Amino acid sequence: MRPLTEEETRVMFEKIAKYIGENLQLLVDRPDGTYCFRLHNDRVYYVSEKILKLAANIAGDKLVSLGTCFGKFTKTHKFRLHITALDYLAPYAKYKVWIKPGAEQSFLYGNHVLKSGLGRITENTSQYQGVVVYSMADIPLGFGVAAKSTQDCRKVDPMAIVVFHQADIGEYVRHEETLT
Amino acid sequence: MKASREATRLFVGGLGQSVSAADLQSQFSRFGDVSDVEIITRKDDQGNPQKVFAYINIRVAESDLKKCMSVLNNTKWKGGTLQIQLAKESFLHRLAREREEAQAKNEKSVLGNTNLLEKMGMVDFHMKAVPGTEVPGHKNWVVSKFGRVLPVLHLKNQHKRKIKYDPSKYCHNLKKIGEDFTNAIPVSNLTWELEGGNDPMSKKRQGKFSDFFSPPKKIIKVQKDQSSTLSLTLRPRPGRVIMENPHLPQQQTTQEIPNDPVTLKSPQLPDSDSQKLKSVFLQTSGLENTGNKNSISEDDIDSEDELRLMIAREENLERTTWSSINEYDSFEIVRDDFKSDVHKLCSLTGLGNKNVSCFDSEDNVGRDYDNDSGDTDDTAMKKNVGKVKKSTGFPQMEQSVYKKSSLKNRKKCELSDHCTKVQKSKTNVELALSHRVKQLSFKSLSNSSSSEDADSLSESAESEEGKYNAMMKNCLHVTLSLADLGHLAASDLKAPKEDSESGGWETTSKCDRASKSHGTSGGLHRSRQCIYPEEIVASLLEGEENTPGKQKPKENNLKLKFQAFKGVGCLYGKQPVKKSLKENVASSNINKNEHSLKLEDPTSMSLEKGLPYSNGSSSKLTPFQGAKKADDPNYIQPQKRQFTFKTQNHKVQSPSSSEKGSRNPISSLLPLKDKKPLRLGAETSLRGFDEDCCHGTTKTGEDSEKRPDLTSHMVPENSPEFSRMNTQGSKTDFPFSLNSSSNVFAKDKHAEDNQKRLSALEARQKAKEVQKKLVHNALANLDGPPEDKPTHIIFGSDSEIETEETSIREQSQLVEKPVKEVLSRASGTLFGSSSEEESDPEEDRNRFRIKPQFEGRAGQKLMNLQSHFGTDDRFRMDSRFLESDSEEEREDVNEKKTTEKEELAAEKLKALNIVQSILQTNLSNSASKGSVPAKKFKDIIHYDPTRHDHANYEKKRDDKPKESKAMRKKKREEAEKLPVVSKEMYYDITMDLKEIFQTTKDSHEKKDAPYVDCDEEKAKEVHVPAAPVMGAKQPSGFTFSFFDSDTKDVKEETYRVETVKPSRTAWQVAPRFQDSSSEEDDVTEETDDRKSSPGEVSLPAKETTRFFFFSNNDERLLGSDLFWRGMGGNISRNSWEARTNNLRMDCRKKHKDAKRRVKPK
Repeated sequence: MRPLTEEETRVMFEKIAKYIGENLQLLVDRPDGTYCFRLHNDRVYYVSEKILKLAANIAGDKLVSLGTCFGKFTKTHKFRLHITALDYLAPYAKYKVWIKPGAEQSFLYGNHVLKSGLGRITENTSQYQGVVVYSMADIPLGFGVAAKSTQDCRKVDPMAIVVFHQADIGEYVRHEETLT
Repeated sequence: MKASREATRLFVGGLGQSVSAADLQSQFSRFGDVSDVEIITRKDDQGNPQKVFAYINIRVAESDLKKCMSVLNNTKWKGGTLQIQLAKESFLHRLAREREEAQAKNEKSVLGNTNLLEKMGMVDFHMKAVPGTEVPGHKNWVVSKFGRVLPVLHLKNQHKRKIKYDPSKYCHNLKKIGEDFTNAIPVSNLTWELEGGNDPMSKKRQGKFSDFFSPPKKIIKVQKDQSSTLSLTLRPRPGRVIMENPHLPQQQTTQEIPNDPVTLKSPQLPDSDSQKLKSVFLQTSGLENTGNKNSISEDDIDSEDELRLMIAREENLERTTWSSINEYDSFEIVRDDFKSDVHKLCSLTGLGNKNVSCFDSEDNVGRDYDNDSGDTDDTAMKKNVGKVKKSTGFPQMEQSVYKKSSLKNRKKCELSDHCTKVQKSKTNVELALSHRVKQLSFKSLSNSSSSEDADSLSESAESEEGKYNAMMKNCLHVTLSLADLGHLAASDLKAPKEDSESGGWETTSKCDRASKSHGTSGGLHRSRQCIYPEEIVASLLEGEENTPGKQKPKENNLKLKFQAFKGVGCLYGKQPVKKSLKENVASSNINKNEHSLKLEDPTSMSLEKGLPYSNGSSSKLTPFQGAKKADDPNYIQPQKRQFTFKTQNHKVQSPSSSEKGSRNPISSLLPLKDKKPLRLGAETSLRGFDEDCCHGTTKTGEDSEKRPDLTSHMVPENSPEFSRMNTQGSKTDFPFSLNSSSNVFAKDKHAEDNQKRLSALEARQKAKEVQKKLVHNALANLDGPPEDKPTHIIFGSDSEIETEETSIREQSQLVEKPVKEVLSRASGTLFGSSSEEESDPEEDRNRFRIKPQFEGRAGQKLMNLQSHFGTDDRFRMDSRFLESDSEEEREDVNEKKTTEKEELAAEKLKALNIVQSILQTNLSNSASKGSVPAKKFKDIIHYDPTRHDHANYEKKRDDKPKESKAMRKKKREEAEKLPVVSKEMYYDITMDLKEIFQTTKDSHEKKDAPYVDCDEEKAKEVHVPAAPVMGAKQPSGFTFSFFDSDTKDVKEETYRVETVKPSRTAWQVAPRFQDSSSEEDDVTEETDDRKSSPGEVSLPAKETTRFFFFSNNDERLLGSDLFWRGMGGNISRNSWEARTNNLRMDCRKKHKDAKRRVKPK
């Protein structure tokens, strides 16, 4: 468990900023306490100061996880967000996509969102913008990347992919072992 | 010539100002008859004429007109360039002419021309009439613009006003369609074709949808179902279902049928529960006519979450997307600040959940029914059981079902048992239950049912499953005839009779026979039934951990559970009664248990039957058992026992002897519920007399012990020890049960059975004897001091346990000793454990022993020293130590903390920097840290009612009106008092006249009181007289500069009130004056601020009115001139008046101009 290096922090923040933009500040600089990012087993955890202290009592090799796992660094030192970060991405998300109830399951099984399943989208979403996917009942289901801009979404045919799937809450079941 | 002349109206523009009508007339009369000349002059704002033009009505021929135009147009005449144009007819002329025309037409139509049309039933719409003329003979039909006759429409507005739509006033949008209308492309050619192959996309684009997609609603439904993990709903069209859900298990289809009754029921039940459920039903029914019931109720909704999902989905579908789903393009685009109204939905779903939970339980029932085979999903069943426990309503229903059908069902079950093959293990448990029930057919079934219900709650999940299965069984076998039942009953009756004749064991055996005779393969069944419980018990025993786990909770819990045990005991007990007598060879624990079982069973039977002969049988039985029991602990008369065994064996036909052993652990609990402990005790004591054993006294002691034990157990005492003891006992029993289980297979042949049994028994006896010897040896070594007794006793019999402790205390020591011995002997195998526990008291004793190092004088000294050590001053910990240490530590901690904090802060800063670099926009923002949270929480303020500064977010409703009321009241009072106060003023002004006016003032005050009392009307009356008075007092009414003229009496009076104070301050009025001020309850402070100017204002009034008070140039009034601008007021007023006059003039002028402007048009 160690703090992130500057490079790592940059990579991670760049990734997160795709989803929440300048709201990233709110994660770093929280009014309700000190929170920090810690790297452990190639995973980045978002930990409150309190828990950090508690976790210091546990040997590094025995520590499975602490705080909230935001994602992990791949071998190539890219950062990949985990679905566990959704709790922090969803409230701050700038660009959102709501999917129809019929398409929910498909998305939760790891499929991309087709235009036919697109219920609602934030205006002026640009292409390849990170978006948080909600159900029509405003339950955050996951996040992805907009495959088309909002304007393009109007034109494309109904079976075209609108949002590329990145993570969904179905992973809590499907990838239970890798989510820590 | 004249005919050619037409009345035309000419516009002549550009006239000089001096042109007169006569000039024009003379000028134009050259060309035709000028009938009318109208000269119009346009003036600008100043009234200077700008344009002069004229309209001339002239009758002129065309040629003359042309000539006129060519001659006069653009010619200069009298200072202007003439411009002549044709003008529109003057409206007056036009009007007149129209009227004439209309009249003429009317006359015409009346005469004949229109008659034709009328005859033809037509209306002449081709009227040359001016727009707006009504069509004669047709109300509300009007000639509109462009000459069409259109109806006047009376439309209703939203605001309930009628709008009259007069087509003559509006241009309508009718347009003529051009000639090329015929070239229009036929509609069929209008749709353009999309290129594309045969791929589905292009087809869809062309509007061809495969029927898969054709009803989009259904598709959605299917999707929804898929999304729900249950996905058990049945589509109205199975084919589609298969298409969509190829993985739909066939179970559903099978399940559906049994479920249907349940589902049909379900709507009735939830009715009372909640309407929401109904609504759900309705909704779904609206969507799908056929399949919905199934879809909702039969969807094995495992968890409420899924249900919630389902409902939410459905509601969503209904709420939002039904319309939009059909179109794929129907996604909306929202702004960033979009917020949807989900709360409503959530609440709805929340409501729905409750209702659905009901469904859950019902579903469970349905499932239970479904799982007839019983072997499908143990786990599922367990889940169901858990749910059943959770949902309160369901068990009740179940119970009721049980109670209703318990009698029939069980018997039927029994019959079915005989007829059908052996069921699986769980079912067997249940069957055994039912078996028992059958044989105790005369028992009050309520008891059994209750016990079973209790079982369902307390027993393990397996038994519950078994029960469920049995329930299903029962339901399936409802068709059995009553005759069979009667037969069974008869057999049961027979059995007790036989009992009374022959003996206790015979009754059971005969019961068995009877049952066998009824059943085709009864013996086998029974054996198997026996086997299964046995197996279960064995498994329970084997899993030593399991058994305590299971038994402990049972015991820990309520009476119900004991009842359950009783039920189980009854279950097993019957069979033991039949067969168990042979197996007394088993350990004394087992025997005792058996005895208790035996005793209980017949007694309970007899109790429940309430028949005398049964009692007799029980009495017979019990003595016998008692004897055996007495024998068992003694182990002195094995021959006797064997004899009894043999006899029993001969008589008893049921081969499974071993079951009893296995059952014992369970049956050991039975004594708890035993209702005849006393009788048992008595019987045992009798037996004790009969017995030849050398331990007769011990036996009696034991018996006596048992009695209290049982009685005490009647009270539901639950203790872990008890369970532990039981388990231990069961452990000891276990080998026997195993042995017996080996015997089980050879049940059919009695001879073989008997032989084997005998051999086994002998072997066991030998083993027992060996054990006993061991015990004896061990006991011989033990010189148990009286203190040890309780601990020893604990290991006695399973059933006795704690009661021993308590009873021993209660009983005399004499009894205890033998008891202890007996117990210790009886529980040979437990000896090891007992030895463990023995060590405890010894340790205790050792604790109080003087330690060797403290022995002797030296030792005492040492002890003293040691005891003194702690209190020695030298070793006392000073506060110094504490302080220094703590300070250091604190410092350390602080340092650590600070360092940590610094580190974290540094990290944070670094992170923020990186964030800035990434975002590249928020440099300014993040520079001030505090701004970020402030920004974040700027919009959303968490209202904290406890915080004082949040009070300004509160709405104060009540205060304001109250205040206003008070204010109003005050004002009113003020208004009432004012005149009086003003009167007082006169008298108060000068000190000299004080005494003179004292009395008058008092009188005024007296007057005042009624004024205050009276209400507004009176107050007004008071005002009215007051006002003239004031007017009289103020001959120079214009002294008030800022009130133009006399505005409001009240206001003046308020100011008049204030005059009191300045006068007082200025002239140092006597304290009496203060009374008056206080009398008008504290005139508001704001008036004090204003008092200076208005006060002076009022003064002149006094001066003028009461001239004799002051000399003409009173020096007291000189200073006030600075403040009072009475003369200035006049001046200002004059100026104001002048200005107003000017303004008024201006206004009038403008008005006139406007009028003028409007007029010509």
